[in-house]
Amino acid sequence: MRKHIGQSIVGFIILFPIVFLLILSFGKQWFYPHILPNIWQTSQWESLFSPSFQLTKSLGLSLLLSISVGLVSTVTAFYFSKKIAYSYNKTTWLSLAYVPYLLSPIIFAVLIHFYFLKTGLSGSLLGVIIAQFLICFPFGIIICSTFWTSQIQSLENLSFTLGGSTTQTLKRVLLPLAKSTLLLCFFQCFLISWFEYGLTHFIGAGKVKTLTVSVFAYVNEANPFLAALAGFLLILPSILLLLVNKRLIFKTSKKLADYE
Amino acid sequence: MSEFLNIDDLSKTFEGQPILNGIHLSLESNTVLSILGKSGSGKTTLLKIIAGLEVADQGRISLEGKPVMTMKPQKRNIVYLYQEALLFPHLTIFENIAFGLRLQKKDQAEIEERVIQMLGTIGLDHMKYKSPNQLSGGEKQRVAFGRAIIVEPKLLLLDEPFGALDVETRHSMQQLFKDLAKQLSISALFVTHDLKEAIIMGDDIGKIENGNYKAYTSKKEFYEDAKSGVTDEIDFWSNLQRGEFSKL
Amino acid sequence: MFSIKQITPWKTALFILMLLPMLLGLGYGLLYSFGVIGLLNTGFTTEHWSDVLLNFSFWKSLLFSFGIGLISVGISLVIALWMVVNWHHDLRKGKLSTLIYLPLAFPATVVGFFIFQSFSKAGFWSRFLYQIGIISKIEDFPSLVNDAYGIGIILASSFIITPFLSLILKGIFENEHVTKFQQIAKSLGASQRQVLIKVTLPILLQKAKTSLLLFLIFVIGSYEIPLLLGRQNPKMITVAIVDKAQRFNLNDIPEAYAMAILYVLFLLFLFFGFQRLAKLKTKAYA
Repeated sequence: MRKHIGQSIVGFIILFPIVFLLILSFGKQWFYPHILPNIWQTSQWESLFSPSFQLTKSLGLSLLLSISVGLVSTVTAFYFSKKIAYSYNKTTWLSLAYVPYLLSPIIFAVLIHFYFLKTGLSGSLLGVIIAQFLICFPFGIIICSTFWTSQIQSLENLSFTLGGSTTQTLKRVLLPLAKSTLLLCFFQCFLISWFEYGLTHFIGAGKVKTLTVSVFAYVNEANPFLAALAGFLLILPSILLLLVNKRLIFKTSKKLADYE
Repeated sequence: MSEFLNIDDLSKTFEGQPILNGIHLSLESNTVLSILGKSGSGKTTLLKIIAGLEVADQGRISLEGKPVMTMKPQKRNIVYLYQEALLFPHLTIFENIAFGLRLQKKDQAEIEERVIQMLGTIGLDHMKYKSPNQLSGGEKQRVAFGRAIIVEPKLLLLDEPFGALDVETRHSMQQLFKDLAKQLSISALFVTHDLKEAIIMGDDIGKIENGNYKAYTSKKEFYEDAKSGVTDEIDFWSNLQRGEFSKL
Repeated sequence: MFSIKQITPWKTALFILMLLPMLLGLGYGLLYSFGVIGLLNTGFTTEHWSDVLLNFSFWKSLLFSFGIGLISVGISLVIALWMVVNWHHDLRKGKLSTLIYLPLAFPATVVGFFIFQSFSKAGFWSRFLYQIGIISKIEDFPSLVNDAYGIGIILASSFIITPFLSLILKGIFENEHVTKFQQIAKSLGASQRQVLIKVTLPILLQKAKTSLLLFLIFVIGSYEIPLLLGRQNPKMITVAIVDKAQRFNLNDIPEAYAMAILYVLFLLFLFFGFQRLAKLKTKAYA
């Protein structure tokens, strides 16, 4: 019984934010001390279908940005993780890959902003893609590096001795075997990019209006209803992803925890 | 130098430690050479260098009179088999065996025909569509053989291929391999730490120890060499028979 | 670390992508903070560094971040340990096993916003307490966000970390076969309490220590949450650095760089120092 109550409380704490955001996103006026909004509206959700709505644009932009960062980071991380796994300095490289994670992205942004200004990349989408990539791909290396076990190395060698070229081996052996790792890496990098605010805002100079940037903008405009809608959109992909495969989200922390 | 495989003065060091010290080795075509060696003797390194998976510091290797040292593993036509069967986990048994033929871009009908024939040869016709994890250790190793032999390699390198099998399976696999080797005129280097297996499997026999290779001109010479361990073994069993076990 | 002989194209490329940006950033920051470059450069000066090092507010921010990190990780650890020890069956299958993954879908921005909307004076809980008659006016609700003790920040950080930590501890619990060790201990005569203190907790904590450190670093480096839930004084270190870097007063920029460099050194020291310590300890036991 005590256990049942405890778990119900945990369930409430977890589910409440989602419901709360959803409710707020339909609100129009919420005077104290009403528990729920005293005036409701559906127009915010409706305007999501209009392409000229700022939040719709942000949603599109965030998707474009995060998919690009996810793809580029995954491909790069896969390539370098192999090189690292087969090299003698494996441990050194892998611990260095932790450094961008250790430094908070926002501090990284403060330090490198000068170079983005000089190259005209500050305030541009490309600039934000590059900056997020620099944060994401070392992380991707940590995820991908677990794929290159001695078993995989032997399978690769076997394919060579059976006459497989490097391309054939990649296509017929390595990529099919790495499918789940690559998927995991992509989603992880996608989510880091999708969740990122500080660096995006700093390097994007406020001009690259992603969903997270929108949340802050609406908070500053004291519009909790639009902020809630933007926030709900932010948690939507990862909730969908969780329903498909919960491991895809959790693996990150585990990969980090495996570091010893 | 009319031999099929010739290895000349092959050496390799790793981080200052010598692994192979000037190995000389030759093999006639259509024969199996057993190489007896403990782990750490350099046997795996030797095979990997022959397969092109590792690079030697110095020495020459020629196959059918042609130097292969600078060739990529893909071009050597030498297949290296591990103790583990290493079946591709994402492919069925059929596709595992067909793997090399697919790489050669053979047409479907030919692949179909040859793979089915090979499945018959290794006695696994009924396993065609199974996935590797449904097979026993011995069956996996058979598939690994089939997959290697079907590409008709000039030379097979076997690195303790039965090391992970239980005694009974091991015996039947030894027999299967001997039959196949004869039937398909296979040339192979067979590396093992097991004295009996070395004697059973090889037409000729050699021994690798601390990176040095010693070839025996005949099995008889091998039996008589005190270092081969054969005499110890014989003494042990004959003592046992004479009831003198207590003296040991 | 690497000898010249070993420098290959991929290593160069990886160096450029992974390390060079940060090294360039640190280099620029170093030169800027010593007045060698920058809009107002006056030639080499240690003035900005001494301003930062002798200024109480920098140390206060760093300590505040560190403290918030320790408290948040501590709270999460207690909750996560409690859940894993008592509910490990339910965490493996059933509703809870799925639910526990849900918070991982929340970005810091959303958690910050949610905590603000629910715990501020005009937030959900204040309204709730008003409706059931516990408080009679908005001012009666305690300051839980933008407060002096960082309560809002701690709430939000713990909310983010706890599920991650629970899943990590649950993984350790299963991988290390803790149940078996518990049974052995019981058969050797250990009481329920002794099993917990002498077996379960040591195994879990030993394996989780690197994760705990990473979470600590994660909270110290968090930015969105203190931005939404913190206040001007005391300020979390990340917010303090960004504020200085974005100030219109150009004199503040060299100080921002000096602070950023100190912050980076602090975290690297924390991480690699801990690794070194952990290694030495293992060696001593070996």
